[in-house]
Amino acid sequence: MNHDPFKWGRPNDATYGAYNHHIAQATPYAYEEQHASSTSTTTSSFPKMNTQNPIITGTSVISLKFKDGVILAADNLGSYGSLARFTNIERLIRVGKETIVGISGDISDLQQIERILEELETTQEVYDNFDGGDDLKAPHVHEYLSRVMYNRRSNMNPLWNAIVVGGFDKDGKTPFLKYVDLLGVTYGSSTIATGFGAHLAVPLLRQLIPEDKDYVNITEEQARECILNAMTVLFYRDARSLDKFSLVTVKNDGEFKFEKELRCEGQRWKFAKDIRGYGSAQQ
Amino acid sequence: MNSTVASEYSSEVHSTPIEHRFNPYSDNGGTVLGIAGEDFAVLAGDTRQVVGYSINSRYEPKIFNVGDDIVMTANGFAADGAALIDKFKNQLKWYKFDHNGKKLSIKSAARYIQHLLYGKRFFPYYVSTLIAGLDEEGKGAVYSYDPVGSYEKEQCRAGGAAASLIMPFLDNQVNFKNQYVPGTDGKEKRPLRYLSLDEVLQLVKDAFSSATERHIQVGDGLEIFIVTKEGVRVEYYPLKRD
Amino acid sequence: MPGLSFDNYQRNHFLTTRGYGQPTATSTGTTIVGCKFKGGVVIAADTRATAGPIVADKNCEKLHRLAPKIWCAGAGTAADTEMVTQLIASNLELHSLHQNSQPRVITALTMLKQHLFKYQGHLGAYLIVAGVDPTGAHLLSVQAHGSTDIGQYQSLGSGSLAAMAVLESHWVPDMSKEDAMKLCADAIESGIWNDLGSGSNVDLCVMEVGKDAELYRNHLTPNVRSEKARSYKFARGTTAVLRESIRDILDVEETVITFGSASVDAMEVDA
Repeated sequence: MNHDPFKWGRPNDATYGAYNHHIAQATPYAYEEQHASSTSTTTSSFPKMNTQNPIITGTSVISLKFKDGVILAADNLGSYGSLARFTNIERLIRVGKETIVGISGDISDLQQIERILEELETTQEVYDNFDGGDDLKAPHVHEYLSRVMYNRRSNMNPLWNAIVVGGFDKDGKTPFLKYVDLLGVTYGSSTIATGFGAHLAVPLLRQLIPEDKDYVNITEEQARECILNAMTVLFYRDARSLDKFSLVTVKNDGEFKFEKELRCEGQRWKFAKDIRGYGSAQQ
Repeated sequence: MNSTVASEYSSEVHSTPIEHRFNPYSDNGGTVLGIAGEDFAVLAGDTRQVVGYSINSRYEPKIFNVGDDIVMTANGFAADGAALIDKFKNQLKWYKFDHNGKKLSIKSAARYIQHLLYGKRFFPYYVSTLIAGLDEEGKGAVYSYDPVGSYEKEQCRAGGAAASLIMPFLDNQVNFKNQYVPGTDGKEKRPLRYLSLDEVLQLVKDAFSSATERHIQVGDGLEIFIVTKEGVRVEYYPLKRD
Repeated sequence: MPGLSFDNYQRNHFLTTRGYGQPTATSTGTTIVGCKFKGGVVIAADTRATAGPIVADKNCEKLHRLAPKIWCAGAGTAADTEMVTQLIASNLELHSLHQNSQPRVITALTMLKQHLFKYQGHLGAYLIVAGVDPTGAHLLSVQAHGSTDIGQYQSLGSGSLAAMAVLESHWVPDMSKEDAMKLCADAIESGIWNDLGSGSNVDLCVMEVGKDAELYRNHLTPNVRSEKARSYKFARGTTAVLRESIRDILDVEETVITFGSASVDAMEVDA
C-alpha cells in the first residue's frame, strides 16, 4: 500500500497505468510544470490561450460632470509590474468633435482601442456624415465600445481595460459620462473613476456631488479644483501613479481644452522630517 | 523540488494551484421583485450597482419597459443582464416588423426569453430574470427564470442579492403563508385575496427599506414599474445610501 | 518548547485537501481612523458589523478601552480584535500596578505587536492604538502580522481608502480638538457612504493630555431608519397553537410563620 497521504484512494499506477491528464483538459498548468519530468505530457499540448494578463499598465482615470460639461484626468505613467517603465503615456483620447475617452489598464490594448476608435471615426465620417448627417457623439462611442468589450469578453479574449467616455448627450447640451470595462459592465454616474481611483478618488468627487443630479450646481472651477486635489491624493497613495498628468475639459459651448504635462501642485511632505521609527523608538 | 536533505514536505502537492485565469463574470449586486395583482403588475428594483465593496453608481436603472406593456429585468451580472434585455428588445422589434406590428403576449414573450437563456446553456447569462405585465385576460402576470431558462408564472417573486431576505416576507404577506384564521386552531388557512395596488406598493417599499437595512449591496434608490391597462408608469423613492 | 511548532502543518494541509479546512471566521468590513491634534489625539469608527453581504449588527462598538486613557479602534476579525484587546487591557493593568505608574501607549503597542507576531497573522486584528500618558499623546497602528506604523493620522479597514482620501485632503498640522473631531467624523462618514463594508453611525473617542478620555458613542447618526409604510401586527390567533401542555416542575408550598406580636409591631430602634 502506498502510505503517501496524497495518494490514498487513488488508482494504482502499476495496475491501471498513469492517469491520462488530457481527458477533458484536466491538467492545470501548475500541475504539468511540477511533474514535467515524471509524465510524458508537455505544455505544448495545452489548449490555445486567448486569455492574457496586463503587461504595461496605466492606473486610474478620474472624471466628473459639471453644469456645462465634463472633466477627465489620467496620469502619464506606463507601469511594467512595479517598475515605472514609461512616463510619457497619453491615456486620454479625443474622438470626433466633443468626445473624450479615458482608458486605464493594459497599454497595448489601449492602443488597439485607439485604432478601433480611429476606424469608427473614419467610417462614420464617410458613411454617415458625408453630407451633413449626425455627428459622432459620446453615447454612440460608449455604446460601440461596450459592444466591443462585451464581445471580446464573451470570446474569452478580453481587452484588459476600464474605460470612461465623456462628452454630451444626443441633444449636444446635457453632459454625458459613462463607464465600460473588460467584462462589458457599464454604468453612468456624475462621478466616475477607474482602478485605484474608484476607492480613493470617488469619495472625494462624491463630496462635491453627493447626488447624481447635483452636478448642475457645480461650476467648472469647482470641478477642476476637486479633480486636481484627487490627482494629488492618488499620487500620495497609489504606488503605481505619477504626479504628471493630462486633463481634458469639454464644455457645451464648443470649447475643448486638452492640457498636457500638468503637475500635482502643493504636495505636502513636511510631516516626514518629524517621523522617527515605526512606533517603538523612544526618541 | 529536490532538496539536499530529504524533507517531509518534498512530496507535498498543492492541491489548489493559484489559477490566474480570466473570469468572465462579476457580481453587481442589487435586488428585484415582482408582484402580480388582479388588474395590475409591478416590477421593482433598487438602483445601486456595485462591484466588491464599491458602489459603481447610485442610479443605474435595471428595469426596462421593453415594449408591448411588458417590463423586464435581469439581475446579477450587469453586462449579461443588459445584453439579454437588448437582445429581447431587438427581437421584439423584428417580430413587429415581420408581423405587421402585432402585439406580443406576455405568455409568448416568456417562452421566447426561455429560449434566449437556454441558448447559452453552457456559457450562461448569470442573471435572475423577471418579467411583468398583463395576461390575455387582463390579469396581472409575473414570470421568473433561473439563469438557464427554467421558468414559471407566479403571483410574486424576489430575485437578486436580497432575494432570500425578501421572498419569505412575500410568502407571508402576499400568499398569507403560515397565517390561519383566528380561533380555528390552525385548521383553516387565512383565505387568499387579491391585494390592492396601494397595499402592494406599501409591501414593496417596506421590502426594499428592510433589505437595505440588512444587505450591504441594496440601497440608494427604489424604482417601481407599474403595469395597468392604461400602460406603464414609473415611481421612484430614495433608499438609505450607507 | 521554544519557537514555533509546525508539527501539525502537513496533517492540516492534508485535511484541507480533503475539504476539512479551517472554518473561516467572520471578518468585519470597517472604517476606523485616528488623528492627532494640539495636546491630544482622537480616534473614530463606524458601527456596522457584517457577515458576508449581510449586516450582522447595525450599531456595534469598535472602540475598545485598553486603559482609562488609552483606547483602540479595531478592524478585521471581530473576535480577534475583541479578545486581543481584552487580554492586553488586563496585562496592561497588571503591569501598571506592578510598576506603580500610569500605563503607556508604547507599552500597549509593544504587548500587542509581540502577541500578534507570535501568531503569524492568524489573529486577524488590525488596530489603531491611541492615548495619552506621561510622555504625551500618541497615535499608532498595528497590523495582524505584528508590524506597526506611526503617523499624524491613520486609517484602517475596508473603508481605509475612502477615509484616507479625506484625511489626505483636509489634514493640517496642529489642529484644534474640534477640528480633529470633525476631520475624523468626516473620514468615517466617507467610509460609511462609499464602502459597503462600513455603515450606520460614527463613534468617537477623544484623549487629551491632562484630562479624562471622553467617549462619544454615536457621535453622528446619519442613518436613522425611515418609518415603515404598513403595520405588521397579526390578529391574535393567526399563528396556530397546535398543542398545549403545562407541567408543574416543582411544588410550591406556603407556610406562614407567626412571631411574637411585640417584635413584629415595634422594632427596637436606637433612640
